[in-house]
Amino acid sequence: MAPGEKIKAKIKKNLPVRGPQAPTIRELMRWYCLKTNTHGCRRIVVSRGRLRRLLWIAFTLTAVALIFWQCALLVLSFYTVSVSIKIHFQKLDFPAVTICNINPYKYSAVKPLLADLEQETKAALKTLYGFSEIKSRKRREAQPWSSAWEGPQPKFLHLIPLMVFDESETSKATDFLTGQKRKVSGSIIHKAADVMHVQESKEVVGFQLCSNGTSHCAVYTFSSGVNAIQEWYKLHYMNIMAQVPLEKKVNMSYSAEELLVTCFFDGVSCDARNFTLFHHPMYGNCYTFNNKENETHSTSMGGSEYGLQVILYINEEEYNPFLVSSTGAKVIVHRQDEYPFIEDVGTEIETAMATSIGMHLTESFKLGEPYSQCTEDGSDVPIDNIYNAAYSLQICLHSCFQTKMVERCGCAQYSQPLPPAANYCNYQQHPNWMYCYYELHKAFVQEKLGCQSVCREACSFKEWTLTTSLAQWPSVVSEEWLLRVLTWDQGQQIKKKLNKTDLAKLLIFYKDLNQRSIMESPANSVEMLLSNFGGQLGLWMSCSIVCIIEIIEVFFIDSLSIIARQQWQRAKKWWSQRQAPACPEAPPSLRGQDNPVLDIDDDLPTFTSALRLPPAPEAQVPGTPPPRYNTLRLERAFSNQLTDTQVPAES
Amino acid sequence: MQVKKYLVKCLHRLQKGPGYTYKELLVWYCDNTNTHGPKRIICEGPKKKAMWFVLTLLFASIVFWQWGVFIRTYLSWEVSVSLSVGFKTMDFPAVTICNASPFQNAKVKHLLEDLDQLMKAVLERIVAPELPLANATRALNFTLWNHTPLVLIDERNPHHPVVLDLFADNRSVSASGSPAPGRACNAQQCKVAMRLCCLNGTVCTFRNFTSATQAVTEWYTLQATNIFSQVPTQELVKMGYSGEQLILACLFGAEPCSYRNFTSLFHPDYGNCYIFNWGMAERALPSSNPGVEFGLKLILDLGQEEYVPFLTSTAGARLLLHEQRSYPFVKEEGIYAMSGTETSIGVLVDKLERKGKPYSQCTVNGSDVPIRNLYSDYNTTYSIQACIRSCFQDHMIQNCSCGHYLYPLPRGQKYCNNQEFPDWVYCYSQLRQSLGQREACIRMCKESCNDTQYKMTISMADWPSEASEDWIFHVLSQERDQSTNITLSRKGIVKLNIYFQEFNYRTIEESAANNIVWLLSNLGGQFGFWMGGSVLCLIEFAEIVIDFLWITVIRLPDTTNPGAYPDEQTLPIPGTPPPNYDSLRLQPLDVIESDSEGDAI
Repeated sequence: MAPGEKIKAKIKKNLPVRGPQAPTIRELMRWYCLKTNTHGCRRIVVSRGRLRRLLWIAFTLTAVALIFWQCALLVLSFYTVSVSIKIHFQKLDFPAVTICNINPYKYSAVKPLLADLEQETKAALKTLYGFSEIKSRKRREAQPWSSAWEGPQPKFLHLIPLMVFDESETSKATDFLTGQKRKVSGSIIHKAADVMHVQESKEVVGFQLCSNGTSHCAVYTFSSGVNAIQEWYKLHYMNIMAQVPLEKKVNMSYSAEELLVTCFFDGVSCDARNFTLFHHPMYGNCYTFNNKENETHSTSMGGSEYGLQVILYINEEEYNPFLVSSTGAKVIVHRQDEYPFIEDVGTEIETAMATSIGMHLTESFKLGEPYSQCTEDGSDVPIDNIYNAAYSLQICLHSCFQTKMVERCGCAQYSQPLPPAANYCNYQQHPNWMYCYYELHKAFVQEKLGCQSVCREACSFKEWTLTTSLAQWPSVVSEEWLLRVLTWDQGQQIKKKLNKTDLAKLLIFYKDLNQRSIMESPANSVEMLLSNFGGQLGLWMSCSIVCIIEIIEVFFIDSLSIIARQQWQRAKKWWSQRQAPACPEAPPSLRGQDNPVLDIDDDLPTFTSALRLPPAPEAQVPGTPPPRYNTLRLERAFSNQLTDTQVPAES
Repeated sequence: MQVKKYLVKCLHRLQKGPGYTYKELLVWYCDNTNTHGPKRIICEGPKKKAMWFVLTLLFASIVFWQWGVFIRTYLSWEVSVSLSVGFKTMDFPAVTICNASPFQNAKVKHLLEDLDQLMKAVLERIVAPELPLANATRALNFTLWNHTPLVLIDERNPHHPVVLDLFADNRSVSASGSPAPGRACNAQQCKVAMRLCCLNGTVCTFRNFTSATQAVTEWYTLQATNIFSQVPTQELVKMGYSGEQLILACLFGAEPCSYRNFTSLFHPDYGNCYIFNWGMAERALPSSNPGVEFGLKLILDLGQEEYVPFLTSTAGARLLLHEQRSYPFVKEEGIYAMSGTETSIGVLVDKLERKGKPYSQCTVNGSDVPIRNLYSDYNTTYSIQACIRSCFQDHMIQNCSCGHYLYPLPRGQKYCNNQEFPDWVYCYSQLRQSLGQREACIRMCKESCNDTQYKMTISMADWPSEASEDWIFHVLSQERDQSTNITLSRKGIVKLNIYFQEFNYRTIEESAANNIVWLLSNLGGQFGFWMGGSVLCLIEFAEIVIDFLWITVIRLPDTTNPGAYPDEQTLPIPGTPPPNYDSLRLQPLDVIESDSEGDAI
């Protein structure tokens, strides 16, 4: 046995090197599989039998596929966020609070401007609904309409006629001004038609908007005359007010001293000086508390006595009867640098009531690119911010609409700020702006203008959740003395005794100082990704980055170099054959089994034949000595592996 | 025998020396380790050797760096939250109901009579200063007035404001002013202020108000506080609204309840408050269905005619939903319910469960907060509101040596009043405006780990309707007063419905974001990814380090005799065969040559 072992070892020693220097790709693969650190490959080579080998090939390939699949999943889910909600009890900054009277301007002050409009509205009401003098309604068709008019020719009704439509014959309408039926061309748009069905065979009221000179007309009808008249009034109202300069409008509206009777914040008196004026086109003068950037009020106690308490004076006698139909004030809680969208998100306050509004602060932070589409400050949104305030989605949408309005209609809509170098719309300069506005507004609502897709939400925002509750104020027993003192307080501004329906009390406070922050944070980091890769590689194949380097080394560098070498040798052979085509000598090299004498060791031929060992494929022919330097170096790798088997041979 | 043999073996080994060199050890390690990098170092030519050596070092340092990152992340004790929303059977919240007026006017009249007289005179003086003073001030009790008087500050000359006492004709005028001849001044020119003095009137400040309404209200409240703080609580309870008066009808689910199901609690701001389902003595009532029909329905009578006129100007019921066994902070967190309306309140229980230490600084029961919870006298649980108020009372007692009437009193202390503590108003107003005090309290108080809030959806409708008004008032009057006349009115009657919404809970639960399993799997992942290693590889490495040390230890004596190793090879010791297992490993590399291929053997 011992000599046999020795021979075996010797054969091994002299077997050709299988490594990067391997002569063929097959050898290289075999060498790789045996030497690699990954687990599957070795099994392929060492297992016996075709079935097992196939099984192992299948297993290995499955493992590779699984690794790729899992790693792909990991990469795809890399940009996900995890949300954390934190609640902190801490000192909180008080938000800015904007308070507006629902009625924008004192009616006595704007009456000279609106006198004609008011007269015509009254006349329209009278003829359409028999309001005021005429109590009994006659059949409208029979009524001589023109008789209702005295004095100058009405200009507003002439411009945009109010009409009564008979639902059964939609193309016919009765112009209320002339009293004659006339054909209505163009599409009839019911303002409420998409939401609810208007009862059949009912008369509806509407108005027709035409573009200048052309036959393009749109008719807007309403199921109720209340809506129709208000919309119609509002159109004209905006047209008139658009021509009034800002200073005059501010003067026509309420002053801070007038609106705020008392003010109390965190146990300390405050007054009109703590409020900043903010002029809103539709709500007139609004006043913002705590809007000065340099001195932000903060609250370090929860509860109503530590918040803002104001008593508002709301003079119902000065209300515009057609523009606003409710009484009270509107209040909105917002960030200091935020624009108060009072018409969209305000809370209404009733008179003769104490409205107590408890706030809870919620802060949200989203992650920007590449996690989501939000924007930090709006600088990367292609819409110019026409508001003098920090970016928000609503600001973007309104700015977008206003910009489009200026582009298409040539003038700006009244209820939003002016973009640079633009004017508010009015009849004199832009006769058909209303038609244009309505068309544009329709397109905007149907998302045809592209505003909704361009505007992105802001990444961080603060939100105050409000809990509103009402109580009767003043109470029956305290009413008498309270009104007396309040009348004295108001003193100069009004010359009458206050009534409780002229007043509203408002309390805004933090319910508690819990700040809820909703924060997004990356769910994965690069470290996590790598360690997950490592976990997957290790689980399926016990592989690591070293294996990947090996694979690159073996499959790309070594095998390419082998192919190159083979090609080179083939080319060389071909070349030498061409150079000496008629060489009578023996072929230059006999390889492998072709070689009758394997001259490596004396007793080798017998041993080989006895064991039926395959002769070394790259056994060198005599005369060409094996590259010894190579062999020697590579033996080291194998040298200690089989020490155990050598033991008996030694002893 | 065995032992001797073993000892002899050991001796021989020591004599023999380590038998291998550092280099051999390293080569052996690299060859046999399971870590992927070192294996490749010794395989191929010198250039590749160097490359693999650098790579292995690089990967090892990357692994250690990443491990550092992970361990630091783990030690930052981050939490992740899970949110769950749904409906389940839950304990109905405790409902605290108070009347906005703390006392019935008729019952406190004897206490407040002087003050009311004074207040009326003050109002007269402010609103109509032209009237002769004599008849207005005839029967007034000026001891109250002298303590903290109201003054008018005439600001017509902004550089030289004139302070006018309201009752200037018979009172001496303080500060810089002299009695101005023309008293007629209106709200824009004159501001009402409160004079606060301490140390026997030597140090005075003015608390300014921009409106007279606030000034007189604050002044009246302060004086009333002084009066009520001298009255024992049992008497105050009697002066408030009784449960029988307040709660006319009660229905919980389908079961009738009455004022007896309510626990009474005296609240300094609102007098007698009544708590339903507080869970103090009895078990808390669960509600297992959403909707009005399964909630609490109440009809309250506020008795608005009996309000104390100057103390409260707002009329309504005060309402608070809170957790069982927690103190109701009605003034801070409560809502109003208006008279003459039906107020429906849909409830969503918003619960937050925090992880305690080391994840956050929250406290489970407040025992680790350095402030004594004064509200624990009511057997209530810790809350941050209770802590902040206890903290304020502590400061009040430290600075002013008396407790404020609105907060509970520590044992052995007294409530502030004008007689015993003449400086308390000054002291209190200084303390109340001090931001430092509040911030100190916020810093000291910790959040509690389990926090429950009740989110309410409030809606209102007129109640009773005009059609049903007559019979409802009739029935309620009959029940309350046994009279056939209608004694109730729309001004005083409130209907309340409190019920669970369709989704009645939203629970935010914190859990550890990075636990030990997370840490281990990430450490393993990193080690596996860069080097294909595992814990066993670390043990291998440690083994090698020990071997190194071993060589060093054994070698030390050998330095004197460098020829020991070759001698060992040439001179076999008879009788003791060489320790084969050892020597095998130590064969010089060129002697043993074999293949590592398993199938060849």
